[in-house]
Order: sequence, then C-alpha cells, then structure tokens
Amino acid sequence: MPGDSNQARLAEILSQCTSELLTELGARPERTGGVRQPPPTGESIAAFSGFCNNELRGSFTLVGPSKLFARLHPLPPTVTPRDLTDWACEMVNQSVGRFRNRLLAYGVRLVLSVPQSALAEKLRLSSSLRPTPTPISFAIDGMVLDGWLELEIGTGFRLAESPSDEEGAALREGSIVLF
Amino acid sequence: MSKKSVLIVDDSLTVRQQVSLTLTSAGYQIVEASDGREGVDALRAHAEIAMVLCDLNMPRMNGIEFLDSIRGDAAGLPVPVVMLTTDGSPELIARAKRAGAKGWIVKPFQTDLLLAAVRRIAGDPG
Repeated sequence: MPGDSNQARLAEILSQCTSELLTELGARPERTGGVRQPPPTGESIAAFSGFCNNELRGSFTLVGPSKLFARLHPLPPTVTPRDLTDWACEMVNQSVGRFRNRLLAYGVRLVLSVPQSALAEKLRLSSSLRPTPTPISFAIDGMVLDGWLELEIGTGFRLAESPSDEEGAALREGSIVLF
Repeated sequence: MSKKSVLIVDDSLTVRQQVSLTLTSAGYQIVEASDGREGVDALRAHAEIAMVLCDLNMPRMNGIEFLDSIRGDAAGLPVPVVMLTTDGSPELIARAKRAGAKGWIVKPFQTDLLLAAVRRIAGDPG
C-alpha cells in the first residue's frame, strides 16, 4: 500500500537523522532491528516531540535509561535529573528537527511542537494506537534507546521518490549564515 | 570597563549552558532567558547586552514573535539578534531576516564557529 511505503520511508529518514545525531554526540549507535526490548530497570526518561502539516501528523518518542542520557549529555558529568530531562527534550527536538529539515528537500514542510519529557522508574512505551507505532531503536554501550514514530498520513500524501527540491533544501546542521 | 553581555534566549537549559560555557570562556558575560517573553524583559533590564542568540521553537513567545516584539518596541532596542535553532528552512530564514535578524545558526553548533559569529556581531568581549 502507498501509505505503508510512505510510512516506512519516513521512518527510515527519521532513523537516519537520529543515528546522525547520536554519532555526533560521540556514540556508536546500532539499530536493534525493531525488536522490542524488556522494560528497563531503574530510572528512565521519555521525551517526545509532535509534528504536523495538512497531510501528515505524528510524534516521535525517545525512551531510555537515565544513564544513557547522561552518557550522551554534551557537558561535564555533573548532571541533575532536571538537566537530563531537559537534555532528553533537546535530543528529541534535534532529531525531529533534522527530520523536518530533510523533508524540506522532498517538498514537505512540518511544524514541530515544543518537546516534553518525563522521568520515572521502570518507564516503558505502550500505545493504544492501531497500527502500532514504528520502532526506531538503537543499542549504545550496552543500553537501548527506544524510539517510536507515530504517524497519521492523509490519503493524498505521497513522498517523492527522491529529494529534488534543491531550492527548498534546508541549511545543514552546524551551518552559520550572517546577514 | 565592563565586559560585553550576550543574551541567550532558549527553553533548553542544556543549550543555554553550552552557549554560556563557550562564551564565558572567551570573556563575554551572559544573561539567560528561557522564552521570548523573558528575553524581552531581559533586554529592557540589561542595557549592557550587545547581542542576542535566540531559539525559534519556544513556549509562550517563539523566536519570530520575539523579533517582532523587540522591533516594534517603543524603546527601539537596536540589539543585533542571531537565531539559534534546529530549523534550517529557507522560508523561515527569510522571514527572520525581514524581521531584523542578523544571522542564523542551525543546531547543533560548533563552538569555534559560534564564537567567531559572536565576535563578528558583538565585537571583542572588552
């Protein structure tokens, strides 16, 4: 079905964006192939960002042990729970931000929500949505960063076969332009 | 003579800390705000602010609204603003330029490039 193809391709683009971000943060992420992991023991953090346009809406959620977010934190390791939940928000924001930037080259424009996060013991993902969200998960240093992409795609939406809109392409991450 | 201050407007504490660490180590003073409204208040309260680094996607008042707000302020507030955001959309960049922004940085930033941009806009820390 075209909708399934769109979903799979959008999930792949988001997966690449998340992998790029994790790599830039000094990790060596390995895709876990979408196999559901057992719920983590101890303290975990979930962070999510929503996005939408007229034909596409959804959200991306990252869940992992607090220790993993501390491992990926860009500043010295004196981080508090507040620092970690804030950082989880920024991670999901930068991951979905890259996704939005990549989709511009396909002529797709998204608006993002302000990210949110929560910290709890034995936190795990669960969804009542059907079909269930697409897992985008990574193994990092013996820990798992679980991601869930939830998408609702309008019947008229078709993702172009390849990025073609060079004029509309976004500035790359790290770019600086002074006017 | 007091050192120049840079106002960082971002709802992410982590980003504020990253920018602050980069700029204070170069000799700048830092003022922080966690959304556009706090940013407007900070500009009014701190006449020594030489430049603003402002996020786009924030609660209460976003970066474009912040630009519009300070440009329309009766006091003038002619402080240069550079946007610091995950968004690389040419459309939004053009919108921010029309609203008076002096530059655009796509997160995550490289510290040396960020510092070079701040030096170029705000001058040496003093």
